[in-house]
Amino acid sequence: MAKILVIADIKQGVLKGSTAELLSKARAMGAETAVVAVGSNIESLAPDLAAAGSDTQFIADDPSLEQFSAGPYASCIVDAAKQFEATLIWFGFSESGKAAAPRVAAQLNAACATEITDATLEGDEIQVIRPAIAGKVIQRIKVNTEQLVAVVRAGAFEATEGITGTENVVKLTAPAADLKAVIKEIISDASGEIDLADADIVISVGRGAKDQAGVDLVKELANDMKAGFGSSRAMVDGGFMAHNKQVGQTGKIVAPTLYMAFGISGAIQHLAGMNGSKVILAVNKDPEAPIFNVADYGIVGDLFEVVPVLREEIKKVRS
Amino acid sequence: MKILTTVKKVVDVELNIHVKDGAIVEDGLQYVINAWDENAVEAAVQLKENNSAETTLVSIGGGDNTDMIRKCYAMGIENGIHIEDPALANADSSAYAKVLQKVYEKDDYDLIITGKQAQDTDSGQTGIILGEYLGLPCVSNVISIEVMDDQHIKVSRLGDTGTEILEMELPAVVTVSDSINEPRLPAMRGIMMAKKKKINVMDLAALGTSAEEVGAGAPQSEIIEFMKSETRQAGQKFEGDAAQITAQVVNLLATEAKVL
Ligand SMILES: Cc1cc2nc3c(=O)[nH]c(=O)nc-3n(C[C@H](O)[C@H](O)[C@H](O)COP(=O)(O)OP(=O)(O)OC[C@H]3O[C@@H](n4cnc5c(N)ncnc54)[C@H](O)[C@@H]3O)c2cc1C
Ligand SMILES: Nc1ncnc2c1ncn2[C@@H]1O[C@H](COP(=O)(O)O)[C@@H](O)[C@H]1O
Repeated sequence: MAKILVIADIKQGVLKGSTAELLSKARAMGAETAVVAVGSNIESLAPDLAAAGSDTQFIADDPSLEQFSAGPYASCIVDAAKQFEATLIWFGFSESGKAAAPRVAAQLNAACATEITDATLEGDEIQVIRPAIAGKVIQRIKVNTEQLVAVVRAGAFEATEGITGTENVVKLTAPAADLKAVIKEIISDASGEIDLADADIVISVGRGAKDQAGVDLVKELANDMKAGFGSSRAMVDGGFMAHNKQVGQTGKIVAPTLYMAFGISGAIQHLAGMNGSKVILAVNKDPEAPIFNVADYGIVGDLFEVVPVLREEIKKVRS
Repeated sequence: MKILTTVKKVVDVELNIHVKDGAIVEDGLQYVINAWDENAVEAAVQLKENNSAETTLVSIGGGDNTDMIRKCYAMGIENGIHIEDPALANADSSAYAKVLQKVYEKDDYDLIITGKQAQDTDSGQTGIILGEYLGLPCVSNVISIEVMDDQHIKVSRLGDTGTEILEMELPAVVTVSDSINEPRLPAMRGIMMAKKKKINVMDLAALGTSAEEVGAGAPQSEIIEFMKSETRQAGQKFEGDAAQITAQVVNLLATEAKVL
């Protein structure tokens, strides 16, 4: 039986939904499942990790693992992969995952694939599907090694209701710190805001909002709707939005139920980060803006006029 | 300080790309420098300007890379290596990383700067794998590089919870994000000078290796098929009185799309 090891996505001590999504897919493929969790003060998450659908929980819990450092993080995962004899090693989509997956693969001498949207196992043959060239094509990849390390694209797999695993904790010893790349400081992004990756609705603002007043106007709508508030790169470069709010190829990949784009032209690099959304609404004053090619609903208009009306109308239908 | 930057020639993502019978249609494609590698080149040139460094680029594959390498020369890169070998036709990230390892070992460098991702693969692996193969510290998704002394650099990277600031011991590998800089447009003088500069073209044998050694003959993974991506269809577009069309769309979001 194939064995699939899923890397637990834990942020601020909370287990994120992507872990259950990956484990659900693994179980649906008929595989034996395990999860590996790396961090500090996370041992208490064992029941949650089991409930998410894993039958074994490898846990590396140590104060030295509090802050993400790619070297030690990868070492813990390699340790778990070897003990479990994993065929597939899956990361959910995150910056840590993108940094660690190629290291884990190199250490295991296994192939690595990022942004996968599907995986199949037939006999010994592993194949994966993934977009490439900014989402313009889809590749089918055949894996020639016995193991594959992969980063799964956000929203690729769905969590199945009613799945649970069994609690069986294996403790991992913390590896030595990476003395050649030492973390000195983390400048934390505004916390307390809704994580784009978790949000059911994402509202993004682009250069069309012009300045801080425009950004604030759209943000009020996001607050009303309890939506994640994102941005194009133009507004990050302009200093109006934090880096971790950037949606797109070099930012966050999101796949919410509803994505609303205000004053965003729809450059290929932005589309690559949101075209997996279920429903897209775009507001842009240029009827030829490429964003309208992917939008289910397009409003050709000035966002400064449209947003206040949207807020009122949405309040009406929601009450 | 000796800096090595890696530069790949990739298909221009701004143009339409067609797929037929499981392959990309070559007709009408254009090739450009990978956008993130342009950031890597700019980062290397800035380090040279601010700290006196020697800059070398290496590019693997791509056929005739003269124009791309000259463009990097015009931006300020001093030396160019081009590894071209028919045996690399099926190379994956691991094979490219092994070739880069050979290039590094031939002429030890202090810092390797790669792009975070190649636009044709969208993989984001090669630089990180290279760091592992060389046993060097590696930080990915870097948005600033600052030289501390002969043996150390300070970098910042975009992580999951914010901007992480790290001190790295040299030699080291970094992969850079497009947020690190705005690549310069080469000046006329640089373009003229670049025309006279040589490019060191080598095959695997000249590099002192072989297809077997770098794993190019039997790659760890191979693309067996390209498919068209499921492009979204343009939906309904509303023009006219802002208040009226907005109310109409909200109504559709609630009743038709059922997402409110
Ligand atoms: C390597 C690389 C990686 C990149 N990665 C990303 C990424 O991850 N994410 C990303 O977003 N971009 C990324 N980009 C940048 C991308 O190419 C675009 O430059 C960027 O997305 C443009 O942002 P924008 O749509 O806000 O601005 P613009 O393209 O300037 O568009 C502004 C839009 O606002 C409209 N507008 C103006 N005024 C109004 C108004 N009053 N009301 C309504 N509409 C109005 C205009 O018609 C226009 O369509 C990347 C680029 C490169 C080269
Ligand atoms: N064939 C190549 N020649 C030179 N550099 C490469 C090559 N392939 C990958 N790289 C470097 O590795 C980075 C990441 O590539 P990838 O892993 O394919 O996304 C690129 O931005 C380049 O800097």
